[in-house]
Amino acid sequence: MKQLWNIAHYEFLHVLKDPILIIIVFIAPLFYACLFGAVYCSAILYDVPLAIVDQDNSVLSREIKTAFANDDSFRIIEGIDSYEEMEAGMKTGTLRAAIVIPRDLELRIYQHRPAQVLAVYDASNLIWGFNSRKFIREVVNDFSIRHTAARLAGEGFSPREIENIVNSVECNVTAWYNPNYSYSNYLFMGLMMLAVHQLGLFGVCLAVTREKERQSWIHYIASAIPSWKIALGKALPYLIMNFFNYALVLWISSRFVQVKIEGSVGLLAVLGILYLMTITFAGFIISLYSSNSLQATRYLMLLSLPLFMISGYTWPRSYIPEFINYIALLFPSSWMVLGIRMVSLKELGLDVLWPTILALSILAVLAVYFAMNFKKERKAPYIDGVNINGGISYPRKINRLQALRQQIRVSRLS
Amino acid sequence: MRREFSYMWRDRGLRNILLLGPLLGLFLFMAIYHTQNIKDIPTAIVDLDRSSSSREIAEKMKSTEDLKVVSYPANYQQMEELIRRGEIIVGVVIPENFARDVALHRHTRILMIIDASNTAYATNASTAVLGVTRTISAEAGIKTLLAQGMDPVTARNTYMAVDFKEEGWFNPTLNYIYFLVLAMALNMWQQCCTITASINIIGETGVKSWLQIKAAGFSKGRLFFYKSLAHIITFMVLVIPVYIFAFGVFKLPLACSFGTLLLFTLLFAIALHSVGTLMSSAANNAVDSTRFGMMVALPSFVLSGYTWPIEAMPKLLQPVVWIFPQTWFFQGFNYLSFKNPGWEFMGSYFCALLIIAFICYSLASLLTAWMER
Repeated sequence: MKQLWNIAHYEFLHVLKDPILIIIVFIAPLFYACLFGAVYCSAILYDVPLAIVDQDNSVLSREIKTAFANDDSFRIIEGIDSYEEMEAGMKTGTLRAAIVIPRDLELRIYQHRPAQVLAVYDASNLIWGFNSRKFIREVVNDFSIRHTAARLAGEGFSPREIENIVNSVECNVTAWYNPNYSYSNYLFMGLMMLAVHQLGLFGVCLAVTREKERQSWIHYIASAIPSWKIALGKALPYLIMNFFNYALVLWISSRFVQVKIEGSVGLLAVLGILYLMTITFAGFIISLYSSNSLQATRYLMLLSLPLFMISGYTWPRSYIPEFINYIALLFPSSWMVLGIRMVSLKELGLDVLWPTILALSILAVLAVYFAMNFKKERKAPYIDGVNINGGISYPRKINRLQALRQQIRVSRLS
Repeated sequence: MRREFSYMWRDRGLRNILLLGPLLGLFLFMAIYHTQNIKDIPTAIVDLDRSSSSREIAEKMKSTEDLKVVSYPANYQQMEELIRRGEIIVGVVIPENFARDVALHRHTRILMIIDASNTAYATNASTAVLGVTRTISAEAGIKTLLAQGMDPVTARNTYMAVDFKEEGWFNPTLNYIYFLVLAMALNMWQQCCTITASINIIGETGVKSWLQIKAAGFSKGRLFFYKSLAHIITFMVLVIPVYIFAFGVFKLPLACSFGTLLLFTLLFAIALHSVGTLMSSAANNAVDSTRFGMMVALPSFVLSGYTWPIEAMPKLLQPVVWIFPQTWFFQGFNYLSFKNPGWEFMGSYFCALLIIAFICYSLASLLTAWMER
């Protein structure tokens, strides 16, 4: 037990001695939580810049204009009077949607001739596109009902009759789990789980490469300490710190970012422990087999986007080819991002979540098993590549910074 | 330059990343988004009435373009369970006595439930549902008017007086491949470039051979200029196959000329390299420099406003995101690929990248000079 404690203590000192690692382990998760929280704090898209090109200037066209102006989703941009101006606005992004009311609209309607209002939206960014289209349909539906009611009133129908006609079949649309279609509920937790994943790996992946670069890994290999103690001792500080970060992220998300985090706390804790065990011990294995810290950092850096995309968190799994889905199952992030959505957003219980927990358990057991049973053998150093950061560097900046620190200390003392 | 190309080639890890990263990214994202749109949203219908009228509604749901009826649960609880398990996204409940209420022109209500836990899915589902609800309500209203003796033309005009035609501009089919695939592949490319650029200065000053270079009296300015040139040439050589596959093979849209896009990409490559160089001049070793690069490159795509619009970010954050060259590039890339608003508008984007490059290279040289005093 003492050996284990000594290794863990030594590793923890390494973390404290490396300022960048301190940032990665202690500050970066908090920073990313605040950053992404700020990005998605508005949660829903509103104030879509909309132009109304009114070429009719009639009572009806003003009614249409009022219907859009009264909707919170849109912000009317004044002064766009022609199709050409609207086109230029759409091209430069000052407009994201526009309504073009043609000449003689009212006249055509009174003459029972076909008349069409054009609603355009900018689909070059699909978030603008989908939301604008949805908002336009909502306003159009609402406007159509009110317009029909007004026409019926003009025909002499009583309010009760109008109500019966207009609402004879009412369609009540309800959104579950995320009623206002909040993008922070949708994206934030997935992004944060991936940040925890990446930062967790970045920390632990240096645990062995650092020793290799300092030629001190040989002491571990040559000693009588069993492999499992070395692996556990090296990984333990990171496991504890990662779990602390995970809990911190959940707390910040629910407290300050206003992300919906409900459901069972126990399930969130179980998911977190299994996820972080897998990441930490997998990171230890990566560190064990990486030739140096730089290579490990580089490869891990590129993982984040592909892992997020194949997880099915944003683009549904049923639309992703089967072979990619099978590959995704091998990564803990794919299970975790969907698992945390199921618990925190949908408040599901163990009856639905058990496959996720089982899969994460299997991945955790495999990672722990392979990390703790590594072969204590020294590999011949790889001499083919350029060893940019492999050896003891020319002592340049560290000395200058140390000198600067000493100067400051001396000036304070004096 | 030859030395730098040779070093980059001999660094096996970097070689693998540079050669495979961007192209693999493009192919992976193409495969992920191969369906292009969210269609066939799984839908369940609970028909508690089992009448011809309710079947008519079910048929309408079935014929809606984006919805696909996959299940007919016997009751509300079964449908709720399907939504909980994520097997369906839209649930429709047609109440008991629906046909009787419609026949008697009584008020009746169809319940439509959308699982909104995935907003992308839910927004599509909601739009599809809004389309079908309008049709259902209008048809029911017209039937009521006809039953009250109104002539068919007037009844239809009362309901469908104003017809709205929708048009999605620049990406009319709302195609995810057009919008996301190349941008994400370019995001992978910019991460690879950051990795390379972040060893620009520390890759020399952090190794023992730096003493030899210093002792030989070789100009540092020339050394880093040619090193940077080699990096930027490599970045451009890497991005050209990505563009060839994207525009030539996968036929992604490009509103501007290929030359304009290439020039814009070149300026971004220079700006990105300058940021990496600045990091490499401030870091103590190559690992730290790469980690700095990672901390900037990872959130840069989210911050660039390419997906979640900058206008929707807090006012305080909006000016901050424009500090990053990635924001200028991804915003400009969106304009060039979909809209081509002309040089007058795009000029600021080109200039901004040049200014960022100038500032970062200047700071990097000052920092390196200070460190090497």
